Amino acid sequence: MTEHELVRAMLALAAAGALGPVEVRRVEQHAQGCELCRRDLETWAVYAQGLRKLPQPSAPEGLVQRTQVRIVQERAEAAGRRRHELFLAALAIFGWAAGWAFWTLARAVTGGNLNLFGANLVSGLTWSLVSTVLVWMTAATAALLLGRRREMRRFL
Amino acid sequence: MILAAAMSLEVFTTDREIALLKKGDPDAVSAVIGRYQHRLYRFLVRMVEDPAMAEDLFQQTWIRLLEKIGSYDTRRNFEAWLFAIARNLAIDHLRRRRGISLDEPDDSGQAPVERLAADGPDALEQLLDFERGALLAAAIGELPAIHREVLTLRFEEEMRLEQISEVTGVPLSTVKSRLHRALERLRVRIEREGNL
Repeated sequence: MTEHELVRAMLALAAAGALGPVEVRRVEQHAQGCELCRRDLETWAVYAQGLRKLPQPSAPEGLVQRTQVRIVQERAEAAGRRRHELFLAALAIFGWAAGWAFWTLARAVTGGNLNLFGANLVSGLTWSLVSTVLVWMTAATAALLLGRRREMRRFL
Repeated sequence: MILAAAMSLEVFTTDREIALLKKGDPDAVSAVIGRYQHRLYRFLVRMVEDPAMAEDLFQQTWIRLLEKIGSYDTRRNFEAWLFAIARNLAIDHLRRRRGISLDEPDDSGQAPVERLAADGPDALEQLLDFERGALLAAAIGELPAIHREVLTLRFEEEMRLEQISEVTGVPLSTVKSRLHRALERLRVRIEREGNL
């Protein structure tokens, strides 16, 4: 590649102010002695000037206020979501604790033997399975109720 | 000396404001949004070419920024961080929806270039500037998003290439080549339409 070709490839970036001082000097030195590059550099300068003076879209009236309102709404929704998550987590913990307490009590009362359809209901495995199903069903019902309540609030 | 003092004061103010933003101070939020509203909105309009969508993305940008402000590293350039969030949201939007042209009329039947406000020293120069600007804006609108963003960040936001690299998340060399290619493509389009 000749010096002329190298400099020509840098002209657009020179007009855009995107070259380092060494490259700028190189372009300027070459352009002084090269009519073609000088004219091209001038054309690029017109483009750069035009790009700096583009018609400006102005921000709409009340943009800041509307943004603040949306931020407040978003924060309120996020806080609501966090509350719901905490409530569900607390409900799950309560479910497990209540299940465990009731299991302990049931074992104490029945002496560890409560047969129904051939299965010992107070055995660890059966009790775990039944209580897990019950906890998940309770959590799902709570989630549905909370969701419906939220939808209702949005509707109102 | 005075300049250095002013610069350090500005940095101090920004750091203080970021601390207030982290606390969720509404006055600080309002002040920072107000300071960047025109630049950020302009950047988003250039990116998505739809004022209504630009406003929505503008609001989403601030919501996202306030969600992430807790993990913001104050050594990072705040402006570059803000524009990077806006840029990512705009790119996500463009990926979902494509094919919007800058001179495509909106619901009001007005082309976006007609909605843009121009300013100039006198009426004739203003008109010439506006026509030239409208021609350029329309040509920019036909460029791919990655070229539009590099042109607007360099020429309208007057960002350094390093800052553009931070906003776009690409290496400096890529920013340079994108800028070069964007200018070349813009010139080809303008020369096809007529002289600037």
